[in-house]
Amino acid sequence: MSITMTVNGKQAEVDVDPATPILWVVREQLEMSGTKFGCGIAQCGACTVHLDGKPVRSCSTPVSEADGKAVTTIEGLAGEDGTLSKLQQAWISEQVPQCGYCQSGQLMSAAALLKRNPNPSDEQINAAMAGNVCRCGMYGRIKKAIKVAAGMETSSNEEAAA
Amino acid sequence: MSEAAETEKPKKKGKWTRRAFIGAGVLAGGALVVGVAVRPGNPTDEMKKRLAKGEGEELINAWVKIAADNKVTAIVPHVEMGQGSQSTLAQMLADEMDADWEKVEMLESPATARYASGAIGREFLAPTLEVPKILEPTVEGSFLKIADMMDLQITGGSFSIRGTGQRDMRTAGAAARQMLIAAAAEEWGVPAEEITTARSMLSHKASGKSATYGEFAAAAAAQSLPVRPKRKAVGEFKLMGKPMPRKDIPSKVDGTAIFGIDAKVEGMKYAAVKAPPVVGSTVEKIDANAAKTMPGVLQILNMGDFVAVIADGYWQAQQALGKVQATYSKSEGQSLDQDAIFKRYSDALDEAGSDGGDTEISEGDAVEAFAGAAKKVTAEYKVPFLAHATMEPMNCTVSVKDGKCEVWIGTQAPLRIRRAVAESLGLGEDDVTLNNAFLGGGFGRRSEVDHAIMAARLAKAAGYPVKLIWSREEDTAQDFYRPSSTSRFEAGLDEKGRVVSWNNIHTHLFDPQEAPTVPYYAIPNQLVRKVDVPMHLRFGPWRSVDHSQQAWFIESFVDEVAEAAGKDPLVLRRELLEGSPRHLAVLNKAAKMAGWGSEMPGGHGRGIALVPSFGSIVAEVAEVDMTGEKPKVSKVFCCADVGFAMNPDAVKAQMESAIVYGMTAALYGEITIKDGAVQQSNFHDYQMLRMNEMPEVEVALINGDAERLGGAGEPGLPPVAPAVTNAIFAATGKRVRELPLSKMNWA
Amino acid sequence: MKNTAIGAAALSLLLAACGADPAPGPTEQIVVREPGQAPKQAAAEPATDDAPAGDIIATGKEAFAVCSACHAVEADAPAGPGPTLYGVVGRKAASVDGFGFSEALKASGIVWNDAELDAYIADPAAKVPGTTMAAGAVGDAEQRKAIIAYLKTLAG
Repeated sequence: MSITMTVNGKQAEVDVDPATPILWVVREQLEMSGTKFGCGIAQCGACTVHLDGKPVRSCSTPVSEADGKAVTTIEGLAGEDGTLSKLQQAWISEQVPQCGYCQSGQLMSAAALLKRNPNPSDEQINAAMAGNVCRCGMYGRIKKAIKVAAGMETSSNEEAAA
Repeated sequence: MSEAAETEKPKKKGKWTRRAFIGAGVLAGGALVVGVAVRPGNPTDEMKKRLAKGEGEELINAWVKIAADNKVTAIVPHVEMGQGSQSTLAQMLADEMDADWEKVEMLESPATARYASGAIGREFLAPTLEVPKILEPTVEGSFLKIADMMDLQITGGSFSIRGTGQRDMRTAGAAARQMLIAAAAEEWGVPAEEITTARSMLSHKASGKSATYGEFAAAAAAQSLPVRPKRKAVGEFKLMGKPMPRKDIPSKVDGTAIFGIDAKVEGMKYAAVKAPPVVGSTVEKIDANAAKTMPGVLQILNMGDFVAVIADGYWQAQQALGKVQATYSKSEGQSLDQDAIFKRYSDALDEAGSDGGDTEISEGDAVEAFAGAAKKVTAEYKVPFLAHATMEPMNCTVSVKDGKCEVWIGTQAPLRIRRAVAESLGLGEDDVTLNNAFLGGGFGRRSEVDHAIMAARLAKAAGYPVKLIWSREEDTAQDFYRPSSTSRFEAGLDEKGRVVSWNNIHTHLFDPQEAPTVPYYAIPNQLVRKVDVPMHLRFGPWRSVDHSQQAWFIESFVDEVAEAAGKDPLVLRRELLEGSPRHLAVLNKAAKMAGWGSEMPGGHGRGIALVPSFGSIVAEVAEVDMTGEKPKVSKVFCCADVGFAMNPDAVKAQMESAIVYGMTAALYGEITIKDGAVQQSNFHDYQMLRMNEMPEVEVALINGDAERLGGAGEPGLPPVAPAVTNAIFAATGKRVRELPLSKMNWA
Repeated sequence: MKNTAIGAAALSLLLAACGADPAPGPTEQIVVREPGQAPKQAAAEPATDDAPAGDIIATGKEAFAVCSACHAVEADAPAGPGPTLYGVVGRKAASVDGFGFSEALKASGIVWNDAELDAYIADPAAKVPGTTMAAGAVGDAEQRKAIIAYLKTLAG
């Protein structure tokens, strides 16, 4: 079956079993490997992408759901000219990633959070991010980076310079 | 390699001698390459075959390449699994050679013996040097076969910075700088001493001359090699000791970082596999009728020890695999349940009694001192099996063609993988090319070779490249587990509350043993023993190896001893550490950070633990809130002395990371066995700590000895579990003697 | 420190002992087709054995594939990431023994009929805020209808 969707602003048409999770269509048919497979049951968040702006677990969302909709993956988080988003910049300034495998999903969940709530409280950050597991345990840095990106806290770089 | 010069006089140490050489050469395009080489001084024939296949020195590592365009490339023999080791190694090299950090790039050395980790190799040649036991299995009871350890390119044992970095990267950097200066001095006709270096530039103030490193790269290669390149003293460091941003991080925020699972190979197909649930069973027969008609399916294979489906896409392979009905052979382990395993442990410990088992440490007479003690303390502790649960499930892509094989993987042990694949295919090691990528978590799991062998066999059978990806369920159920263990203690106190005896026996399933089965604490009579308990499961190193069990046992029991002695847990530890100033400094700093001794609200408590491991010393204080339904760890204060923190921010990040990894285990981690098989399958029943449970973490570093560096990746883990459970006791008066905490009823 | 010296003789002995035989090939290898080869007609149509093509129940079963990562459909299936959906239609929410339901779902008071299931599958978190069902939002109303039709067949 043919599915048509907009992926990171570009039209994409794929001919796959409509039950195939978006994750595998993005990784295998569209050959974008930034979105990761972690658990296959929506428990870890490594596969998080945006579907019409809402965060979904792409490992458990069939591609039929994306028909006629807009999918945004980590590859589409930066600006069209390649300028990193504020979140990505904060991820670098706070030196968030370790192994980095979960970070695409963390960033996509965080981006969706800030879009609907530009000034989230700690509880709101926890609630939005609790679905994303980081086995390297960088939760403290992720939270800090979200606040830096939201302009709620200054980056560690500036703190060091001050 | 044009020529070689000695950097050190050979030293006789044990049966082996070692020689380190600096080598240099010039590449096409005028690039200078400098490396540190190690030549076994007195190898046996077997050793030589493995380590020095050609003539002359072969174990070359820690190269630096300086190109004509002034770009400096650090070629590092360690993989990147999250610690930022590659970046820190480049930082050490760049500092010694005064390179411009902005122009420094890194390249992971290819998986060939030429790049085997010399620092580790050297430890084999100089066995009296301190080396983590995980990298140095003993002849008796070596789980990781010594032959495996001959494949020396391993990242583990918290060893990269303190070994390779400290000994090799810095030497190579210093040598390169010296040769560049010598070349410039010759060309400019000025004394070498008058030439200064900074940001990849050579300058001579009096004559006003200056040039880039790149301009002198080719000329430097013709210089005679320095015998003992002068390395910087701590006061001269420009990059070392500074929190430099890691060079691998930008690619990890925009989706461009390539992990093993991201390998793209022309014509590859996808494989899903299922191994028998009970280790040791085989696949007797399969019914593939339903699977055969599933979309995308190419092949269905019974490999004897596992079932595989190869399909056009991975999801298709997984779906079809779910339809394959397999029957498994009966095996020895299949009758075993978790309760029976712990029963086995207690039976073995009962049989060993107060002085049986294999003695590991014996000082004084602990049995007699205990008999005569004024006060006696005893306790038994239990910890469960644990899985690694790396975020990236095991995977490997292999192509086998015309007697050659190519492997794409993210591994901690590239050379081991290469050899295992070669052996499984009946090929020579040189016929196997390995491409290593970033690791989506290692923690010890990616030092194993099982998944690579499976992928190789499938690619060979299929006749086209195969990307094997394990499901999370397979990853959870087919791990090399952290062993479960039971440990018993007896301690005696004299009338004044001093600890006079310490007697411990614990079950033992896996070598190498890494933990110093005690005594960083000064106790006059000590007896530490172990008793082996055979088991059908597979075990492997798990972040901090057996420190993860022993530290919880020891630090929990020290707390119980303090309680019996009527002393504050911090005070007793101070007494027992009187002769260890570095330990004391770390302990006191952590206590001070936490405001030890200050009042806490009801239902809240503080606990402390100190553990030396992998050459570093770490103390942690945890604060818990026991007023809710389950324990909540609200704060963790950590002080670490890693000798000298080359990249302090990266070291802090390691402590933060290890605290979460250790807390996850303490709160939730438990693999249980039923009918010989692992019962857990995915993150819903093997739970992870999540952001909503993350405590505030504060880390302080002490640079206690810049000459003897310790590790960073693991030492932050062992203290956290006992700090938490000791805090629970402080809050509730209830001792925790079994992990994980989720098993306990807190109502 | 103990246990650190490696005896040279023992070392060579162990080295000599390595060098295993090649690992065995498959004991059974079913080649359904070669890569690039067009799939046979039968293989292209999944779930043909249960119902005729076009049947709403067959469509629902096909759409259920993603759900099956978490949900079993047999009566006595052990708890997975989600509860078994055997007999789900008509039963009270959070009423399967042995599954750790969220407090939110337990307190919801829902009895699963067509309308409740439809709303829940459309957006679980919106219907029951606090549910642990993180995945499963099915946006297409026809698909939901088909899935519910399939769920109705799961009963004794």
